[in-house]
Amino acid sequence: MILPMKTPTPQIPPRIELRELTRRLPSGDRLLTIVDRIDLRIEPGEFVAVLGPSGSGKSTLLALMAGLDRPTAGEVRIDGQAIQNLSEDQLAVLRRHKIGFVFQSFQLLTNLTARENVLLPIELLGQPDPVRRADELLAAVGLGDRGHHYPSQLSGGEQQRVALARAFAARPPILLADEPTGNLDGATGRRVLELLTELRRREGTTLVLVTHDPAVGALADRLIHLRDGQIEREEVPARAATALHAGERG
Amino acid sequence: MTLAFFWKTLIRESRGSRGRLVFFIACLSVGVAAVVSVAGLSASLDEGIRSEARQLLAADLAIEGRRPVPPDLDLAAVGLAGAERTDLQETVTVVAAPPRAIGQPGRSQLVELKVVNGTYPFYGKLVIEPRRPLRELLTPQTTVVASELLSRLGLRIGDGLRIGGQSFRIAGVVLSEPDRISISMTLGPRVFLSDEGFRRAGLAGYGSRIGHRTLLKVPAGFPLSGLDAAKERLQRTIPDPTFYSIETYREAQPALRESLGRVERFLGLVALLSLFVGGIGVAQSVRAWLASRLDSIAVLKCLGMRPREIFPLYLGQTALLGLAGSLVGIAAGAAVQLALPSLFPDLIPAELIRPWQPVALLRGLTLGVGVAVLFSLPPLSAVLRVPPARVLRREAEPLPGHRWVLVATGAALALGVWLMASIQARSWDLGARFTGGVAGATLVLSLAALLITRGVRRLPRESLRRPWLRHGVAALARPGATTLSAIVALGLGVLVVLGMSLVQRRLTEELSAELPKEAPSAFLIDIQPKQWPGVEKLIQEQGATRIQAVPVVMARIAAIDGRPVEELNRKARPEVHGEGGDREGGQHGEGSRRWALTREQRLTYMRTLPEDNQVVEGVLWGDPQRAEVSIEQEFARDLGLRLGSTIRFDVQGVPLELTVTSLRTVNWRTFGINFFLVVEPGVLEDAPQQWLAAFQLPRGTEQRVQDLLAASYPNVTLLRIREILDKIIQVMARIGLGIRFLGGFTVLAGIAILAGAISAGSVRRGREVALLKTLGMTRRTVLGTFAVEYALIGLVAALIGAAGGTLLSWGVLRRGFDLSWSFQPVPFTVAVVGAVVLAIAAGVAASLRAIERRPIEVLREG
Repeated sequence: MILPMKTPTPQIPPRIELRELTRRLPSGDRLLTIVDRIDLRIEPGEFVAVLGPSGSGKSTLLALMAGLDRPTAGEVRIDGQAIQNLSEDQLAVLRRHKIGFVFQSFQLLTNLTARENVLLPIELLGQPDPVRRADELLAAVGLGDRGHHYPSQLSGGEQQRVALARAFAARPPILLADEPTGNLDGATGRRVLELLTELRRREGTTLVLVTHDPAVGALADRLIHLRDGQIEREEVPARAATALHAGERG
Repeated sequence: MTLAFFWKTLIRESRGSRGRLVFFIACLSVGVAAVVSVAGLSASLDEGIRSEARQLLAADLAIEGRRPVPPDLDLAAVGLAGAERTDLQETVTVVAAPPRAIGQPGRSQLVELKVVNGTYPFYGKLVIEPRRPLRELLTPQTTVVASELLSRLGLRIGDGLRIGGQSFRIAGVVLSEPDRISISMTLGPRVFLSDEGFRRAGLAGYGSRIGHRTLLKVPAGFPLSGLDAAKERLQRTIPDPTFYSIETYREAQPALRESLGRVERFLGLVALLSLFVGGIGVAQSVRAWLASRLDSIAVLKCLGMRPREIFPLYLGQTALLGLAGSLVGIAAGAAVQLALPSLFPDLIPAELIRPWQPVALLRGLTLGVGVAVLFSLPPLSAVLRVPPARVLRREAEPLPGHRWVLVATGAALALGVWLMASIQARSWDLGARFTGGVAGATLVLSLAALLITRGVRRLPRESLRRPWLRHGVAALARPGATTLSAIVALGLGVLVVLGMSLVQRRLTEELSAELPKEAPSAFLIDIQPKQWPGVEKLIQEQGATRIQAVPVVMARIAAIDGRPVEELNRKARPEVHGEGGDREGGQHGEGSRRWALTREQRLTYMRTLPEDNQVVEGVLWGDPQRAEVSIEQEFARDLGLRLGSTIRFDVQGVPLELTVTSLRTVNWRTFGINFFLVVEPGVLEDAPQQWLAAFQLPRGTEQRVQDLLAASYPNVTLLRIREILDKIIQVMARIGLGIRFLGGFTVLAGIAILAGAISAGSVRRGREVALLKTLGMTRRTVLGTFAVEYALIGLVAALIGAAGGTLLSWGVLRRGFDLSWSFQPVPFTVAVVGAVVLAIAAGVAASLRAIERRPIEVLREG
């Protein structure tokens, strides 16, 4: 399905744009504000890390960006298109075409083999030669020979690498990652992160990564610190700043 | 999404679920087995009748009537040139063994007499001992009888037998007859006579109730289609066609098959009920299954699969499972059919069973898959509400539901159930009533179960001293739909089985009870008028009381209000039975109108009506100008008669015009002698007539009275009400057995659901076991604790179901049969105890695995 596009604006719209985004949830007999009037623009190809303590609204923010959840107020725009009023079906199609996911708990389909998990998004789009693409990606994450294994036969790190392959399978312009290393030990986590950034670079994907680990955040182009549902501050990490300056000098 | 991708995803998604869905298949297959058994058995019988049609008719074409078929009937003119012809006459009479001594009449017996003039049978085997053709054995002086008659009268081949007062020698014993069907009701053993013998016996005289049957056998090489054409031509050319029904073997016993069809439709609905109960289990399995697939569904949504793509994915899986369950059910149904002859040896002949009836199997498959899909719609609609945000937050609230989804699934379920019930009942109307009944019962049972579980939740559990009791009560009160649906399903099973057996019990009791004080216990038919004073004296001497005797004149309606009956008849829909179809079997309306028009009418005449008659319109014998007739109200309605209508009767060739001057109601249940048509005195006295008498005999004297009558008035037939009622009880017991047998499937489905509910909660149960064991309970105590829980579930289900069944029996007996009703504590208790025992057995069996696990395994899983 082709989504209705707005008339093209002179300049390229941001990949993701949040305007006054608010999400409240009932808790007992009162409403809890999880995300509080957030404004944010994320440009194509950008890597943004969202940091904050637990309960600061990071995951909810991610869910709102993906159309997994609906805002109480405000707007979410993907490539200039407001998505908060789309139907469940339209949101599904939007995700199919534009958004890949990596989750803390991997969320592989347990009935499917590793390869079938990777195949699924490609097949959903009806792209040609899905098996080749799936095998390429599995090889890229170092699991070329484990495609026929079921998730239960893989270690945590391996499962997350399959999830990475799946996330990139349909070449989505956006990748949303929720604590992708949260369930992994240090070394495994680092390996997964390396793969993630490597694949992102190769595919030119916009990445929004939620984490509470500053070391993970340090890899991003931009850091957003959340507290109590609001953006506390934004910063450009030293490495990225250096790279930026280097770029300016070059 | 392409179809190929849909299939691929469907198969992949089904992988991890197979083990969990054992109960899905179990629940469904029980019902399918019941449906297939009934449909298959019926198809087997039907096929058997069709393949044996020639033998069952004993001819290619048979003409049956209350009058003899004209001997000069031109067969060549109707395209049956060269056909062989045999004329049979059939009647019921009393035969007797020779007198034991002077003044000591021989023992007598009511028999079905068959008089053969020609070759009999044309097809099929008449097995006689000695092995000689019937024609050779039957002379004017001999008879051939059923072996049953010999044993009843203490006779042997070569002995004498008195028929119609004449002596006959028994020349042979009939062992089997091609056209006598074991499942039909008969009034007595068979006796064969030759035409000359019958005339010698003097039973052929006027007034005897003789059925005539002419068998025709076409020459070899006769085209099959010619038979139907010949039948049509015969119907057009035979004189007085309304007196005859013509049947070819190609129609294969339409009347018999029609009554089998009626039984099949009824039993088919009982079987369908067990399938519907299985449907409750299906819904429950699907709900439990989906609960374990929520994460997958959320991930699929995340990956961009639309809800309307995921829904058919899961619906497709239930359809596949439905197919699997139905196939298992079909196999089980076939096995049941093979086992039936050994379960009911005198009812179902083993050689008839052909368990692989394609239509029956297809029916099982269609209904099975249909139930699987329909009953899983409501739980599956939850797929639409699974929040994709669940991938991030497990407690993410479900998406808002659409009202139309609820309405659409509800409507689809109701329509589907109606459609399936209509398929089984072969009637939209009956299907609708069945659906309404099932829906009502389910609703009431659910409400009762809900109220009870709610009530139990309020019980002060702390006051229960025994921990196992407290645990059981707590389990019953635990919120959740699984126990509830198990209670409803098991309850429905108990309801059907108990309800139906209570009804049958009471009906049997009513029929086996002493007859009403004022009701006659015996009837005498075929009394010649001059015989009556002697007969009356004889029965009075034997202690007969409440003697009632009336003259009977046979006549036929020729015209109503000047319109000939042929013209009226053309407007009435033809009936399967043709002439002689039983009135109870026929539906009201055109069928009974035709029946009333064509049958031979029995008229009587009397000054005052019996007490059980009441004139509701007009005045009895108030018109001095015209010959009057008083008509029973419903009969009048069937014929479209009103006060002032005129009926022209043909009384043995003499026309007689009567005017309707009064309409009556009759209380038929008094068993008294009553007539649809009563003529005023002074009109029919000179017409040829016979007398009919009803009276009460002291208990135990019936046989002696029959013996005495047979000796002095051999043409008079004594019908004992008790014997006839016993035959009806036998037939009823057979149908009742079928219902209880099929009702058992409903209980079985309920049990499967209970086991499924327990097994679905096995994770929770495993944790419970681990905790209880950690707290120091032995396996036995844990098992005991669980047994109490299942016993309580079974008890609640059984109590509700038994209450429902009792209510059902009350409704059927009081409203349907207008019989007295009383609470039956014994069957009630048996049903409850039985259901509780079954529930414990199924529950314990289903939780054995959980009990065997070691605590540490479970606790480590968290």
